[in-house]
Amino acid sequence: MKYMIMMFGDQATMVEVKSPEWIKNMLEFMTKIDGELREAGELVEANGLADPTLAKTVRIENGVPVATDGPFAEAKESLAGYWVVDVTDERAIEIASQCVTVTGEPVEVRQVMDAPPENLSEL
Amino acid sequence: MRSEPQVEGLLRELAPQVLGALVRRHGRFDACEDAVQEALLAATLQWAVEGVPDSPRSWLLTVADRRLVDEWRSESARRRREETAATLELPGRGQPSDQDDTLTLLFLCCHPSLSVPSQLALTLRAVGGLSTAEIANAFLVPEATMAQRISRAKQSIKSTGIRFDLPPEPERADRLRVVMHVLYLVYNEGYTTSSGPALHRADLTTEAIRLTRMLHQLMPREGEVAGLLALMLLTDARRAARTDAEGSLVPLAEQQRGRWNTAQIEEGVALVTRTLGKAPIGPYQLQAAIAAVHDEAPSAGETDWPQILALYEVLEQVSPGPVVTLNRAVALAMVNGPRAGLALLGTLDSDDRMAHTHRLEAVRGHLLELAGDPVAAREAYQRAARMTASVPEQRYLALRATRLG
Repeated sequence: MKYMIMMFGDQATMVEVKSPEWIKNMLEFMTKIDGELREAGELVEANGLADPTLAKTVRIENGVPVATDGPFAEAKESLAGYWVVDVTDERAIEIASQCVTVTGEPVEVRQVMDAPPENLSEL
Repeated sequence: MRSEPQVEGLLRELAPQVLGALVRRHGRFDACEDAVQEALLAATLQWAVEGVPDSPRSWLLTVADRRLVDEWRSESARRRREETAATLELPGRGQPSDQDDTLTLLFLCCHPSLSVPSQLALTLRAVGGLSTAEIANAFLVPEATMAQRISRAKQSIKSTGIRFDLPPEPERADRLRVVMHVLYLVYNEGYTTSSGPALHRADLTTEAIRLTRMLHQLMPREGEVAGLLALMLLTDARRAARTDAEGSLVPLAEQQRGRWNTAQIEEGVALVTRTLGKAPIGPYQLQAAIAAVHDEAPSAGETDWPQILALYEVLEQVSPGPVVTLNRAVALAMVNGPRAGLALLGTLDSDDRMAHTHRLEAVRGHLLELAGDPVAAREAYQRAARMTASVPEQRYLALRATRLG
């Protein structure tokens, strides 16, 4: 089964709130876990996202799509990066737990909708 | 000259035989497996131009053997000494047949010490002769991920010192159960819509049937292997009718039975008929028998539900579990009315293995709909739609819910 493990936050908050040790530990952890997931054949993909201050929101204004800066939502709700891993649900939680232990910040685990359908069509 | 699919079929059939012979000659499964993959690739390229050689098996064996020797020549002397040691550990019995080798390989790739995804990947590569790219495509992961998974599995076989030999008699039944489960999982992974994002998974169904057919030929007296093959054939026979033009799931009762594959149904029914009563009964034979009853009904309304219910009752004795109870509830509803089925479903609500799956809610929705309670049915379908991790299934359940709105 595939799971997306998501981390949240932004640069400004991190620099303001976190210590250099925290940042160093976090980066070390990211490199380590990335290598482990790759080597184990568990990693499907991983990406970090550009800072939310660079985000654009596209919405309909007067009937046409218009791009504006932002959303500037609360930084802690901004997606910062994600892994997609192909593992059991226990293992997904275990990877997320490692991440949380190092960063102290919550991460979200969501299953990817790629399961084959079961025998529902036999109803 | 043979056509391309014929050449591919031949290569895939020969792959485990050549690998078996090579492992017997040299030991070291991991290196031999790589060499066979290279030989398969070389054959695909060369045979397309020059035609199939007189003895394709010897051709592959010679090419793989040469790759292996070249590889070892370039390694250090220390490594070579290890190879010699590994060769000495081979079982010292007479020349085994290709059939034995293929079977041994299947047991090796489905070794209980490997993780389930590793068992699946390794079986498809070493026994099925599929390339890493093909397997990665089928499981919708990048090729590098699958390559790493296969390499890990091979390292694990090497480091745990698993021998290239058939499992000893006392372990044989348990090990065969693992092999059958792996083939069943490969089949299930492919058992899906014939269009849309999961298109290429249909190949896994075909491959699972091919490998199970091979296993059945190697172990013709194993009733459960015959049952598994029959179950796959009888279920796969409905593939074309299971989805509509848009790729949406079509429930069994609404399928156009004229689109079912009659040749596969005949083969599956013949297999079940031949097997039932002759070998010890088991869950695959029973599930195949149930599939056969469905397949033999000229229309949904003419389905012999009392017989299906009786078969589920036996299945529940032989192999009890919440999924079996769930299916029995459907049969019970068709025989004694939806309320009887719903009552049986109620016994599953406290079962942790079922409480969080969409299947329970999907079946509940279906039975509530039959019972004439559209409001509760709609809620059940919605719960099911939220819980599934399959896109076609989610669409199907959401549609059923909105239809009752």
